[in-house]
Amino acid sequence: MASILSFKDVSKRYHRGREEVAVLDHFSLEIAEKEFVAIMGPSGSGKTTLLNLIGGLDRPSTGQLTVAGERLDKMSGAELAHWRARHVGFVFQLYNLMPTISAETNVELPLLLTPLSRQERMRRVAAALELVGLLDRKKHKPGELSGGQQQRVAIARAIIADPTILVCDEPTGDLDRHSAEEILALLRILNQDHDKTIVMVTHDPKAAEFASRQLHIDKGQLFDASAPAAA
Amino acid sequence: MLIFLQVAVAFALFGVLQGLKTGVDHAISETRADLLLVFSSLSMGDPLPLATLDQIKTVPGVRVAVPVDLLGGTYQKPTQEVLMVAISPDKDWTSAFTYDIRPGYLAAFQESRTAALASEEIASKYGWKVGDRIPLETTTVQIDGSMVWTFDIVGFFHDSDIGGGTEKILIQYPYLDAARLTRKGTVNHINVAVQDPGMAVAVADEIDRRFANSANETRTQSLRELAQLNMQSIGDLNFLVRTIVAAVLVALLFATATMMMQSLRERTPELAVLKTLGFTDRAVFLLILTEATMVCTTAAIFGLALAMIAFPFASKFVPGLSMPPIVVGVGIALAVVVGLVSAAVPATRAAQIEIAAALAGR
Repeated sequence: MASILSFKDVSKRYHRGREEVAVLDHFSLEIAEKEFVAIMGPSGSGKTTLLNLIGGLDRPSTGQLTVAGERLDKMSGAELAHWRARHVGFVFQLYNLMPTISAETNVELPLLLTPLSRQERMRRVAAALELVGLLDRKKHKPGELSGGQQQRVAIARAIIADPTILVCDEPTGDLDRHSAEEILALLRILNQDHDKTIVMVTHDPKAAEFASRQLHIDKGQLFDASAPAAA
Repeated sequence: MLIFLQVAVAFALFGVLQGLKTGVDHAISETRADLLLVFSSLSMGDPLPLATLDQIKTVPGVRVAVPVDLLGGTYQKPTQEVLMVAISPDKDWTSAFTYDIRPGYLAAFQESRTAALASEEIASKYGWKVGDRIPLETTTVQIDGSMVWTFDIVGFFHDSDIGGGTEKILIQYPYLDAARLTRKGTVNHINVAVQDPGMAVAVADEIDRRFANSANETRTQSLRELAQLNMQSIGDLNFLVRTIVAAVLVALLFATATMMMQSLRERTPELAVLKTLGFTDRAVFLLILTEATMVCTTAAIFGLALAMIAFPFASKFVPGLSMPPIVVGVGIALAVVVGLVSAAVPATRAAQIEIAAALAGR
């Protein structure tokens, strides 16, 4: 399968006071299309930094980063924003839904950046909410939904614009076991039935088992990395 | 919500102040331009001889001239003051005044020397009716030694001149002058109605010229001039209103900007999420700016509407109080400016939010 994501000798350094810390150090990784990859590692290992780079929320200090055929390391802030709108869907640990608007409007947000008509936007929103099993709760605000339901709304928002890649940062970290399994099952459906490429960061080995490939990262270094299967 | 309320209150105040200024300007502009008041040049309280009336009537352009004397008194209690305006009810005398009097009351007033017409306000205040005899205590001694003057209420009137005071009665000058012991043959001033309002200044100048260098020099002013002087006696109203409005808007600017910064801090994670969805820095900047401007504008419209609702009640105290469309337009324009200026820094900060750091709660 073709490679959808490619890190080539990527480093990411932050300044903490006078000290410069390398969170990722000469990091290389390839992820194929339609893969469901789980990235595990201890706190401070660089998982979130890796996810931020994949999602275009940050740029590498050095190295080449190619996602969906585009060099993210060469993009400006505005270019990254446009790129994110087209290619990335985010799912966060704490859902990050807008609390004052309904589930339906939350899911609609990414489509406001497109030229779609309101009618078409609403049609797609309904389809996304139906896929996650929450069409009957579309008018509810996040505060009126359970944690699992909020995360499903967040997943609907993440997939509404048909992104190239889903980036999930501890998507089950704030959920009970039952809700977590529902979410992971949904992600597996999105990967297997809808061909979504998913990169998921998790602390939970049981969550990682839902993925087709598991990677470990520690101190900015990748362990158990394996090349994607040939197309 | 707090920003909305404070902007609404500020613009309600703006609307009321501008309305007050408009009301005052309106009242002055509505003052009759064809009425002159002739006083002694020494002061408005010094008497003029009644004999000056005949000379004034011969000045070209004078249509009607009516002598007026003023007498102060109290009704029942020392605190209940009544102004008595003594006039000669000669032919066409009403045209030299700003009083609206029904013909029936006018006729009754002219029939009896002790007749009095009460202003609607004072009659309502004391419950006076036609036929009531009202004794008024004064400092003016009558020939019989009494200082109590008794009048018969024969009707009522409305004075359209807001500078003229409301608690007064009209009495007959011939009766006053005949019955009093002192100041006989004198008046406080003479009301003059000119034929052509455009000639009012020229007529006034001619009247004063006729009495210049005499023992009874005069100072003639139009009613409109007097209204303006009355307003100036409380200070430069325009300057006062502008200063207060400017102070309110500056305070509003700082308060709104502070609240918006606080709001931005609380909403940083939400704005970071919008950026993850693909909203550019520019889009977030414009979002904050637009939001602030809409809140300020909506609140200003609400506040101006509140001011307009209050005007019918406030008009009882300042007749002519109104808010012309230009004031509404200026108010809305100022609200837009307040919104844009107060949101400029918060919007810039919002555009500069680092997504990764904001989502991590740093």
